[in-house]
Amino acid sequence: MEKNYYTIDPLGKLSCAKCRVPLVKGKAKFMYLDNGFPVELPVCPVCGFVYVPEELALGKVLAVEKALEDK
Amino acid sequence: MIIEERSSTHVYKQKRMLSKEALAAVESLCVHEQPAYCVAACPLKLDAKALMAAVARGDWAGARGIYEKVTPFTRLLSAGCEAPCESKCRLSSLGDGIEIREIERAVARFGEKAAAKGLLRFKKKKTVALFGSGLFSIFLIGELARKAYPLTVFCAEPDLKSFMARETGFMDGEALAAETETMAALDVDFRFSTNLARMDSLRAGFDVCCASAGAARQAWPGARSDERIMMFREENLVMGCEGGVTAAAFGAKKAALTVDRLAQNLDPCNSRGEEGPCSTKLYTSTEGAERLRKVAAGPEGYDKTGAESEAGRCIQCRCEECIKGCAYLRHYHKFPRILTREIYNNVSIIMGDHMMNKPINACSLCGQCSVTCPNGYDMGEICHIARQNMVATDKMPLAPHEFALMDMLFSNGEAFLCLPQPGYEKCRYVFFPGCQASAVAPETVKAAYKDLCSRLSGGVALMLGCCGAICDWAGRYEMYGETVEFIDEKLRTLGSPEIIAGCPSCKKELSAHEGLRVRGIWELLCELGLPEGAGRFERPAALHDSCGARGDAETQRAVRRLAEMLGCRLVDTDYSGDRSPCCGYGGLTAYANPQVAREMTQSCLQRSGEPYISYCMACRDRFAREGRESRHILELVYGTAAGAPPDISRKRYNRLNLKRELLKELWGQESEKVEREYKLEFTDEALEMMDRRMILESDVYAVMDGLRETGEAVYDSETDYLIARRRLGNVTFWVKYREKEDGYVVHRAYSHRMNVVQRQG
Repeated sequence: MEKNYYTIDPLGKLSCAKCRVPLVKGKAKFMYLDNGFPVELPVCPVCGFVYVPEELALGKVLAVEKALEDK
Repeated sequence: MIIEERSSTHVYKQKRMLSKEALAAVESLCVHEQPAYCVAACPLKLDAKALMAAVARGDWAGARGIYEKVTPFTRLLSAGCEAPCESKCRLSSLGDGIEIREIERAVARFGEKAAAKGLLRFKKKKTVALFGSGLFSIFLIGELARKAYPLTVFCAEPDLKSFMARETGFMDGEALAAETETMAALDVDFRFSTNLARMDSLRAGFDVCCASAGAARQAWPGARSDERIMMFREENLVMGCEGGVTAAAFGAKKAALTVDRLAQNLDPCNSRGEEGPCSTKLYTSTEGAERLRKVAAGPEGYDKTGAESEAGRCIQCRCEECIKGCAYLRHYHKFPRILTREIYNNVSIIMGDHMMNKPINACSLCGQCSVTCPNGYDMGEICHIARQNMVATDKMPLAPHEFALMDMLFSNGEAFLCLPQPGYEKCRYVFFPGCQASAVAPETVKAAYKDLCSRLSGGVALMLGCCGAICDWAGRYEMYGETVEFIDEKLRTLGSPEIIAGCPSCKKELSAHEGLRVRGIWELLCELGLPEGAGRFERPAALHDSCGARGDAETQRAVRRLAEMLGCRLVDTDYSGDRSPCCGYGGLTAYANPQVAREMTQSCLQRSGEPYISYCMACRDRFAREGRESRHILELVYGTAAGAPPDISRKRYNRLNLKRELLKELWGQESEKVEREYKLEFTDEALEMMDRRMILESDVYAVMDGLRETGEAVYDSETDYLIARRRLGNVTFWVKYREKEDGYVVHRAYSHRMNVVQRQG
């Protein structure tokens, strides 16, 4: 099974303001200091805009950043 | 402008931070772990300090446990010990030393014996014989029983009572009975009424043979003990000594170690460790020691209350001079020696987690410890070397320092100004107010510059920029070198004038450049006198010395003189002058570890409840942010109150605006202003959040500029926010906004450093 470090479903409340379509659960990757983490985030199916929610950015992403910085 | 992030976590470079010898030399300066004076003086290594602490808190069983580590015969030892510890007690130099021996006697009397351990202890295989009686024999039995040797004691006495009475006449009957009971409880095979002259034949079959001095001489009249190892070498006999209780107990300890070595067929002279009393390099301040007179003991010695009271006088000698003054060391609760070793190990790790990166970057590098430590231990220097090493090996993350470094590039880029006084090509002086002065109190800088121009002859140039302290503190030595070159080059264009520094840290940094002449504006103002319109501050105030002025007596004196001229009534505080702590800005602590920085600021402010006067704008700013009335001395001199502390965006705006205004007012130059086609409004919540999260208004503008180009945004129907993002350098910024007719209202902003990309498959 493919590994995902984080999965979030947009649940229909998010839409792309440019393409006027709802965001869908899509495949994305976080990259930092030459380390990659596959995740599933809300993505625009048309233009590919990947949305990183505030709670994620200040929570798990920040924690992983700090851990990697001290490697 | 971008500063490059460290490269992959999978690239491994290594560089030694200090040589082993240099590390050992530095570590040896920290005396925190040195034994207390009383402990060092005891040949038996009794931890008298811990014993006093246990008695003082009424833990009699604990105290007895500590005492029994030395010998099971505590009544005997305490009755006859010569107590070399007492004369070494730190309090004896001020008044009465602690009555350690009397307290030990009380412990031997009142301390409850710990219940025997339930685990069965296996006896050793090697057997030991002991001949003769007396103090040495009693203590040696205690030692060998503890080491679990199968022990046979041969003595001339007919029974245990008379064995115990030998050489112990100084004990009263009750104590003797108690110690006889203790002896009876030990698992020892006694052979009473033995003819000791037969020692040579009786010893056959035992692996190790020991004898009291008397018994040895009975068998070999010329027997002499080598007191270092307690042996009569010719007969391979562990032999006792004459002397009092302390000598006997110490002799028994040495003898027991010799037994150990002989039982293992090893040379008894080797691997003995440190025996007997030792020297100590401990430093202990007696400041605050109050009870200098001893508690009198009754004819029977102390009762429990008396002993607890006397032990409570013990000041628990330890060196904590550094930690007392430093919030950083208190936060991590580590003493410099341990901290240095952990940092050294951290820097030496090639792969894996570097757990000490945070402490390395949290020190303010202020050098206070180098003054408060009796041996001058400079933890800041260690952290600074470690930072440079991390930069050199590409292990230094950019995140803790990026904002400050970008701020420095802003100071020496967009906001930089370097011009001779109008009407001059070359100048005799250049005013260098420092980046924080322009950021926090631009009106003060303006007033100071105009004043200097009007009262000094030969031309006063102006240089608005950063001295390079920021990249120096960050350990970015290459960037620092470039900054030094940049400043020196700019100064040459002004005719290499004498620098008038407005900030003690700038003065310190610039003084390190080769060939520069630097002095503080405060010294000059003392000479020139106060300008017209100088303010008065006729209330009591606490003067906070800047860490940049540590060791700079001239500056410290001049500022006090200036304060006096302004009518200030300065109140004395702990830790002033060279011992002053850092406000939390130094060493970039405020950026790398806001929590520790805050503790530093609060620690500074605890020294006095009065308003604070400082002569570094960073100190002024941090004290004001904590809600204390805080003034920079130049604000008072020029009667220009800087008001409430500005947020991070305002600090940038202030610098830029100061440059624009001065260019216009003094040099008649108009600056270009960027006009945008849209307007941005920020809610109060957004502004507070941005200041906390280190997001500048200019970052938000850049996101919105990007949005207008690409149209890329997300709409969240639940909150009714539109959300735009843009990657700027090493950081992705996200802005939550709502549209309005002529622009946007920003409600929230956040950022992350990770780069996010879409992936296929």
